[in-house]
Amino acid sequence: MKVRMLITILAVGLVFFAGYAALFIAPDERTMHEIQRIFYFHLGCWTAMFTALLLAFVANIGWLVERKRYWDWLSVSSVEVGVVCCTAGLMTGMLWGKPAWGIWWTWDARLTTCFILWLLYVSYLLLRGLIEEPERRATLSAVFGIFAFLDAPLVYASNRLWRTQHPSPVLFGGPSSGLDPTMVKVLMISMAAMVVVTGMVLAERYRLERLRHELDELRVAYEARAVQAGSAVSRASRS
Amino acid sequence: MRNFHFLFAAWMAVWAVFFVYQVSVARRVAQLRDEVERLKEQLREG
Amino acid sequence: MTTARAAAILLAKELRLEFRTRELLNATIVFALVVVVLFSFSFDPTSAESRRLGPGLLWIAFLFSGSLMLHPSFAREQVNQTLDALRMAPISSFAVLLGKMLANFLFLSAAEVVLVPVFAVLYNVSLAASVGRLTLVIALGTIGLSVTGTAFSAIAAHARMRELLLPLLLLPIVAPLLIAAVEATASLFTPQPTLDRAWLAFLAGFDIVFFTASWVLSDFLLEE
Repeated sequence: MKVRMLITILAVGLVFFAGYAALFIAPDERTMHEIQRIFYFHLGCWTAMFTALLLAFVANIGWLVERKRYWDWLSVSSVEVGVVCCTAGLMTGMLWGKPAWGIWWTWDARLTTCFILWLLYVSYLLLRGLIEEPERRATLSAVFGIFAFLDAPLVYASNRLWRTQHPSPVLFGGPSSGLDPTMVKVLMISMAAMVVVTGMVLAERYRLERLRHELDELRVAYEARAVQAGSAVSRASRS
Repeated sequence: MRNFHFLFAAWMAVWAVFFVYQVSVARRVAQLRDEVERLKEQLREG
Repeated sequence: MTTARAAAILLAKELRLEFRTRELLNATIVFALVVVVLFSFSFDPTSAESRRLGPGLLWIAFLFSGSLMLHPSFAREQVNQTLDALRMAPISSFAVLLGKMLANFLFLSAAEVVLVPVFAVLYNVSLAASVGRLTLVIALGTIGLSVTGTAFSAIAAHARMRELLLPLLLLPIVAPLLIAAVEATASLFTPQPTLDRAWLAFLAGFDIVFFTASWVLSDFLLEE
């Protein structure tokens, strides 16, 4: 309990610091000025999303190999949180695109593949809702999750492989890419803040999954007890 | 400040999305926790 | 029994089954034609427009009719629990999957062989110069569609709302394939048809990646 409180306070602090840094510490950008500062939240969302989806991928493999329930709980939690991050990322992207490019959306490689990724993981969540038996649900959604993850590298590479409306990579890009050192530091803080917040939300979602399982087990035990009590009564009344 | 309202909207959007999600999960966790406690009590009594 | 032999036997079974009634094949072809005709109601294309929008149209027709045709692939096996029989047979699960993938590839190809000439006639697109290359592009796209479609048919077979679920799972996964196929086809529809190497490589890459993934995960796809 105390540890969780401490982590929450640290996370909140980090978030506020990241926000302050993005707005006031980061230097002004040459062409876009203030609106460019969305960049720190925007990339934060994507870092958090890829981390969550990678975790989901590992969890999918974990379930198929080990069949321990916690892999399945981790899988659904990470995917859900990943979808949330993706949604936030797409929204920040649109809110940046409108003032910067004059359009809310375009069908270039980066945006299209990203939207497809969003659809894929939403389909994962829908699939889970349509399979009732827990073991089978875990296995089939794990298989689908692995297929879905095959799309993720494509999203990452899309603005390296094709020329897109979306800006070219600024980190690890070609010779003409690169960021001002202060911007890099602010970016790192923003990414850290988003990943920490995502981690906390993921933990809470995982807790929910674990509680659901505990509830199911208790219900089964309760019903077993009721059946036993019922048969004991009928035995007693017969003798 | 140019385009400040878009910047603000983006900041709000990010935290609103996370906040709404976290609240919805936390609410369900609290509900389930209550039910688990209730069932545990009933099993203890029976 | 080797995987290849088992797959061949299963392929023969699927083909025999289908050609007894031919209902699936007929329905697929007719549905694809319906899609093509319906699109023509939304615009009356000039020759230039046909060349621009044609590839997308063609592949959407393949995709829609394909995802309807892929659904029964595993759903059929559940009616008389023949899937259990397949599981118990001394063959690898990949053989079962491969047999169905090959069958679906052949059915889809049969529909396409009918559809492409009809499309060319209805939309006044001349394809004579690029038949060989077009066949290659369509074949690679169809392989990708059959591989992923069969795998996801196995997944969807165990869920509710199967008919809706299969397209829901399949279309996002196959979207990159669709984009590549449309781009490659588009460069073949121009007055000087060229084969775009990059998109072709993408198509081949997609097929290899998803074929490998299906092979690795085949046991889990056919699990009880």
